Amino acid sequence: MYQDPCSASAAYARHQEQMSSLVELRGISRTYGPIIAVEPTDLDIKEGEFVAILGPSGCGKTTLLRMIGGFISPSSGVIKLDGQDMTRVGPEARPTNMVFQGYGLFPHMTVAQNVGYGLRLAGIAAEERARRVQDALRLVHLDDFGGRRIDELSGGQRQRIALVRALVMRPKVLLLDEPLAALDLKLRRAMQDEFRRIHAVTGGTFVFVTHDQEEAMSLATRICVMERGRIVQDGTPREIYLQPRTRFVSRFIGEANLFHGRRQSGHVHLDNGLSFAHEGDDGEVDCVVRPENMVIASTSDTSPSKRYDMNITAKLVDMTFMGPNVQYKLITGNGEDAMVETSNEDRKSSIETGANVMLWWNSAVQRIVTE
Amino acid sequence: MNWEAFRAGAIARIAPSLVIFASLFLLPISYFFVISFWRVRSYQLRTDLTLDQYREVFQNFAYPLAYTLAVAFAIAAVTTLLAFAYAYYCRFKTWRFGITLVFLALLTLFGGYLTKIYMWKTILGSAGLLNSALLQLELISEPLTVLLYNVGAVIITLVHYTLPLAILPIYGSLRGVDDVPLEAARDLGASRSRVFFDIILPQCRLGILSAFSLSFIFAAGDYVTPLMVGGTSTSMIGLLIEAQFGARLNSPLGSALSFSVITSCALIILLVAAVLHVLVRPRD
Repeated sequence: MYQDPCSASAAYARHQEQMSSLVELRGISRTYGPIIAVEPTDLDIKEGEFVAILGPSGCGKTTLLRMIGGFISPSSGVIKLDGQDMTRVGPEARPTNMVFQGYGLFPHMTVAQNVGYGLRLAGIAAEERARRVQDALRLVHLDDFGGRRIDELSGGQRQRIALVRALVMRPKVLLLDEPLAALDLKLRRAMQDEFRRIHAVTGGTFVFVTHDQEEAMSLATRICVMERGRIVQDGTPREIYLQPRTRFVSRFIGEANLFHGRRQSGHVHLDNGLSFAHEGDDGEVDCVVRPENMVIASTSDTSPSKRYDMNITAKLVDMTFMGPNVQYKLITGNGEDAMVETSNEDRKSSIETGANVMLWWNSAVQRIVTE
Repeated sequence: MNWEAFRAGAIARIAPSLVIFASLFLLPISYFFVISFWRVRSYQLRTDLTLDQYREVFQNFAYPLAYTLAVAFAIAAVTTLLAFAYAYYCRFKTWRFGITLVFLALLTLFGGYLTKIYMWKTILGSAGLLNSALLQLELISEPLTVLLYNVGAVIITLVHYTLPLAILPIYGSLRGVDDVPLEAARDLGASRSRVFFDIILPQCRLGILSAFSLSFIFAAGDYVTPLMVGGTSTSMIGLLIEAQFGARLNSPLGSALSFSVITSCALIILLVAAVLHVLVRPRD
């Protein structure tokens, strides 16, 4: 939740947060010559959280994760894990384990040897090792696969072995780098359920990197959206979706209509003719409205429902039947693109492509962004 | 296409290479295998079935045979180590120039076999480059004669010659080693040396074995290098086999010697394969 950083209670809350953080990043950055992969970044992750680092490719999310895991050393800043400074400690000595993109299973070892490798290095006695490996395999329903070779496994099975190979080490923080990217849609859904279940069962702290906003929404308890090396918004999936802080976040997470305008002395004037009171600095703004929060009505319908207090005129360009929903593409009176999504039942069969219509929404659901 | 037709087609496609392999390799080598059980009487090949030649090998040629195998083993071991170091460097330490470096190593094969032998003669000889340089630097007053015409010169020359051939299979197998499992091993607590022994080495076992076999067989069978740089004390078996087929006109004994070498080589390679397997097999 965004809080005023200057207030005393916010400072206290932040102090409390720091006290119980499992992962503390302070001013972490990484540059490659003139290229800045990650700008100085602060991040605190508490025990039991399931954090998604979400962003488009090249935004620095994997670099950030690999710095937590110890595979990339930061150009500046401090990394603390469970209160210990780990900035210059190699991956083999960190209390983290990673599930790699592409899994990184050892092709010359059996499934059980793969899962038991870390335990063997840690000097766990053979008996306990075998028991823990078996428990781990049971967790992902692959009890009988211990003796299999890696090339005998399907993609989903490999994914689960990679997951338990890391989990069996009982890491303080489990890091997942695009863990589901290589799987097809159906398998991905099944693995998402699996991840949620395992997170609930083990009660561990998971940090995973993804470019898939749907995956982030469905798995994480907290999402950090990254853009060009910076965390631009950090909050629960709900907050990120309902209260996007920037144009980028509103477009990247779900679909969004952005109506351009200006704010002057506490009043926003949109290019489409709407104006309303809104406090804030003067300057260019965008008014964000989600497609599912708008309805289409004919121009003669002056108020389709009491709930809607905002309306603009638009021309219907295209209509797509999506199964449960219908998606309308429109151009507003002032030439901006707009999109409306309504459930199948609400479809206005009388409205044809090319017709002039009214778009209605409730001002309570709109967001004003300046960045 | 049904299975029968597919199989017939497959046989038809490999038939030409089978014919070439049989006529140019299997047939001649079978001939020598057969005559190794014959004998020569008054310069005539007699077809009596006998083990005399093999008895002769064990009685009179056991030492040169063992000596040759030992030298060949040393050459193969040194070559494999150097080839591994080079291939490892090319695969892991040169970003993406590795393949260029391997190509450069292969390019030296254009120098040819005899050229390399003469090159080492020129370098190691009493009026050679090395001696001249040492004399110029006044580190020695007399030319060193121990450099050439001994087993050391044979080892250096053959290592130099077989090195590019040994680099290739090792580099090939190292290229097949994926980077992600190496990071995963580090993540699971492996030090850099553990990653090397547990993850990298097992995956290039076959490449190492190929490289070792290639240089071992080549060194064990070679008779030109010992002749040119080995001197009189280096009695490698290739020279003795050559003499049986040539000056001594005793091809049955020559064949028996050859098959003794081939069999010993095969046994040693199998032994090396077994040792490698045991050393690098994954532990439960």
